[in-house]
Amino acid sequence: MGDPQPRRLEEALAHEAGRIAGLFALACVQVTLLGLPSGFTLPLVPVLAICRALLGVSAAFPDVGLGRALRWGLYGGLALDVFAATPLGAHALALLLAMLIVAALTRRLRVERPAVPLLAVLVGMLIYETVLVLFLQPGAIDWRRYLVVVMLPSVVVALAPTLPLFFLLRRLLRGQL
Amino acid sequence: MAKPSQARTSTPMRDFLDDRPIKLRRERSPVPASLRPFVLAIGLCLLAGTLVFLDRRGIITPARQMLQSLTAPVAQRLTGLRDDLGAFFSAPRGAAALEARIAALERENGELRSQLLRLEQAQVENTFLRQQLAIQRAHPWTLLGAEVTVRSPDAGRRMITIARGSREGLRPGMAVIGQLPGTPAALIGIVESTGPHAADVLLITDISSQVSGRVIHQGRAEVGLVRGQWQHGSRLQLGQITRDLDLAPGDSVVTAGLTGALRLPFDLAAIPPNIPIGSVDQVRVIDQHQIAEVRPFVDPDQVRYVWVILSQDD
Repeated sequence: MGDPQPRRLEEALAHEAGRIAGLFALACVQVTLLGLPSGFTLPLVPVLAICRALLGVSAAFPDVGLGRALRWGLYGGLALDVFAATPLGAHALALLLAMLIVAALTRRLRVERPAVPLLAVLVGMLIYETVLVLFLQPGAIDWRRYLVVVMLPSVVVALAPTLPLFFLLRRLLRGQL
Repeated sequence: MAKPSQARTSTPMRDFLDDRPIKLRRERSPVPASLRPFVLAIGLCLLAGTLVFLDRRGIITPARQMLQSLTAPVAQRLTGLRDDLGAFFSAPRGAAALEARIAALERENGELRSQLLRLEQAQVENTFLRQQLAIQRAHPWTLLGAEVTVRSPDAGRRMITIARGSREGLRPGMAVIGQLPGTPAALIGIVESTGPHAADVLLITDISSQVSGRVIHQGRAEVGLVRGQWQHGSRLQLGQITRDLDLAPGDSVVTAGLTGALRLPFDLAAIPPNIPIGSVDQVRVIDQHQIAEVRPFVDPDQVRYVWVILSQDD
């Protein structure tokens, strides 16, 4: 199972460090550069993580692919927590749950169809936003209003770059899938 | 002869049969082969949940805050970059858009300038009103403040024009006082003529100005005539003081309230007594009289805002 040639420990650690640094950089870009005039932010890290989970499930070795994707979710979520000053682990947990459910739902689908990444991001972002609001909003939540005012616009904003990001990611990770 | 060729053809067959089949990377299995990734996911979720719990309890909060402080400069710089980019892209493009933008900014600029002027004016007015209030508390006068609008352009006559006139109750002969930082409120001139919204004030330093004054020396007072001397190279001169009173530098001179020797058609009763004029600078004795050079408390050429004494409470 996994790569036929096991990598050396230091090589694996270097790869992991690079992955962490890359996801921190992406999270930094998300919170600083991708703010929209409407007040929403283009959710680069969540979309990439969900797309990565999709690609991981559809990889030749889904166990390895999904495992790597989940590490993206963990690092990306923690990075978002650091930049967004939220409790450490809140974004990570939301993202991991979203990725897990997306992976479970799409494991038998052909991800090459453009509708699949869009649906995956739609579902994933709804889960992500729901978990986040449960963690971050104290007190009672007016869910109907929150859905209309926050969640649906966030999902629409997330869907906009989904396909370009998905195909770009698939191209970049071709050697690892 | 056939053996070598058989050997060549049998080698691949043996490879395929003997070796374990190689699983190609591109061979895709549709589902994860085991529950391992899902177990990993649950483990990572538990890890994240534990981190949230620990952060909520404040155990790892310092570590998070340290990470935030480390990343804050980069984030701040990138946010600044985004703002700059936003400003660049929201800037108007094309000559017409630029012209419209400039016109709008010029309009805004004009409005802001006028607002600023109004504010500055209000601030100045506030200062003068405070001064006026202080003067009125110290003296029994009813005052009307006025800005100096025009100064006499030639040295022939020392006059100013003030922005109040007969509509505001000014009449010829009324005393005009001024105050500079560090000086008492003192006489600077007398209203000579009035228009509806402006009045000409003859400064006390003009050679044609003559005001009855009282000089006070060691509890005694003597009435004399204060004449302007600006055209003679001085400021004021106090004359017609008998030698009975020993004038000395520093003696104060105030209005006597008589102003009887004026040759101008003034309403003489309009100048109240005891308005400070100046202090004696030098004293000369000529025959039976003394003449004193008087330094005015307020230099009439320096005032920007004056008060006209409309009346005096008895």
